Amino acid sequence: MATLLAPAGSPEAVQAALDAGADAVYVGLKGWSRGGARGELSWDELVTCQGRAASAGRELHLALNTIPKPEERARLFEAIPPLLDLGIRTLIVNDIGILHWLRRRFPALRLTASIGCGAQTVSDVAFFRDLGAGAVVLPGTVGPDEVREIRAVRGIAIEVMVHMVEEFILLGKCWMPSYVHLKPSPLQDGARAGATMEGADRGLRQTGSMKRGGVGACFKICQQPWNLFEGDRWVDTRFFPSRQVSRAAEVGAYVAAGADILKLQGRSLSPENLSLLVRGFRDVLDGRADVAARAGQPAALPASWTVVGR
Amino acid sequence: MSQERIELNTSIPNLRDLKASDLSAYDAVYLGDIFCRLYEGNFLERPEDLRQGLRILRDRGKRAYVATYAAPRNDFLPRVRKSLEAAAASGADAVEVHNLGILKIAHDEFPGLPVHVGGFANVYTDAGVEVLRGFGAVRFTPNYELSLDEIREITATCGAPMELLVHGKMPLGISDYCFLLDYEGKWGVKCPDLCQKELFLKQGDWAMKSVGKGILSGKDVCMLEHLPRLLADGHRHFRIETVSESPAYRHEVAAVYRQAFAHAADGALEQDQGWWDVVRAHARNGLCNGFYFGKSGMDYAGIRPEAPGSFLTISPSTQ
Repeated sequence: MATLLAPAGSPEAVQAALDAGADAVYVGLKGWSRGGARGELSWDELVTCQGRAASAGRELHLALNTIPKPEERARLFEAIPPLLDLGIRTLIVNDIGILHWLRRRFPALRLTASIGCGAQTVSDVAFFRDLGAGAVVLPGTVGPDEVREIRAVRGIAIEVMVHMVEEFILLGKCWMPSYVHLKPSPLQDGARAGATMEGADRGLRQTGSMKRGGVGACFKICQQPWNLFEGDRWVDTRFFPSRQVSRAAEVGAYVAAGADILKLQGRSLSPENLSLLVRGFRDVLDGRADVAARAGQPAALPASWTVVGR
Repeated sequence: MSQERIELNTSIPNLRDLKASDLSAYDAVYLGDIFCRLYEGNFLERPEDLRQGLRILRDRGKRAYVATYAAPRNDFLPRVRKSLEAAAASGADAVEVHNLGILKIAHDEFPGLPVHVGGFANVYTDAGVEVLRGFGAVRFTPNYELSLDEIREITATCGAPMELLVHGKMPLGISDYCFLLDYEGKWGVKCPDLCQKELFLKQGDWAMKSVGKGILSGKDVCMLEHLPRLLADGHRHFRIETVSESPAYRHEVAAVYRQAFAHAADGALEQDQGWWDVVRAHARNGLCNGFYFGKSGMDYAGIRPEAPGSFLTISPSTQ
């Protein structure tokens, strides 16, 4: 049976996800999570959430998916032993260098290559297996047939983000927002000491992106109306295509293809919306829902829920 | 300063463009379009064209590199292997890899092929370089978002040779979908001719170029007045990105940079006004510096206030 992995952005959401039947829940820790300020937990909240998950016999996964600069890397490593002491074993990371270093320094960790790592093929998954990842996240745009081919790679768990927003540009392959505007964001406490990066003296991190985190906001320019010009001649006004991917109807096919973990996106969802989402997938996974009737149904998510806080 | 020879390279998608291009100012060329399998005459879908292209480059005395797809799916991989086979059999000098799975294929199945890591591979730190070296990579294009200071930190730590975009439209993203297909009926133009048009997405003074599945900067990255800094930082491998440009652009911009690099290598700081006339004439939406100075990618930091698109001026003494 595959594991249902739910998102949560608050202790209340963690509880809602557990109550709705999630086998595991992933959360972000303030300052180290690519989603920015929304949906991140403080340390005290993380302790609370881990306690709730452990009491329910479930697992908490932690997204540490920024790409720390060299000055910040030591602080990240200092953060790991307390996490292990807390009972957290699974970290979601977004950079091959960080994955490699964590693997070497903390063999007790189970490391997941984030969806932002961009894996989509059988050879991508083999690469992350060789690098020491325990799991790799594939986008829900990778279908069950592709997962079946990918499953030929042994020794690594396959996670599929079966409920997600698919933007026009592939996750982890977009720097359109920072091309248009690069917004300074506060440095981590203590990161200023000895730091040499621009803006550090003002407590700001001048560079960052949706890929490496730290900006705290995606400017969502892919969701703005754009004027399309051929040369200097206007030809259309349009949006980039994007869509809500919800593959509830294919949950069985993914499981049969060898997916180990079915992951849902949405750390910024309210506990109420999250509960609906998790319960829906729980029912499908347990065979309690009419799968055929769900095919093509829109997701039970607010229209405003988009990039930030995945 | 390192005495290693400067390499100026570019990219060419197909045999037609290769045959039409004057490459006299270049030392090396990457063959193939990394964005789309359906790109017109894409070298990466035509092993015989690729072999011919590699022969042409060798005959012209150029180093010959083969690009690979930036965001492949499973069904791309047999074709990727064909390209790598052709590259290996034809004696290509290197392959450029943007995708980690393709890196593994190159490392495991074509161990004799030197690998250059491309800009979509997300090299953000020295730790990433260390990993990729373990898979046989020998040259690295850092992620375009990195500043020169950050790139210098990486090279200081691990000594890896970097390849930097010095001119042209900077890749900003890649998609699984081509939205230009929406216009086949409306415009009466079919794929693969759609992305041969010069198409820009604009909003206010923001502009990005669409090549179907790929998005590039609308402004041309231009590092013409910053070449002394690049050389002083020890960089020797430079790209003029022309995969979606005309042969005239490819030739004329490269001729400018070849002269400018020669001046910079000799310690000369003066710049020829004619160089600026050329790069401005080819930059429909103006010039920018990408992310090299820690600002947003469309900013221009320099002492040429007349440069189109320039709104940020910094003191030359800080260069």
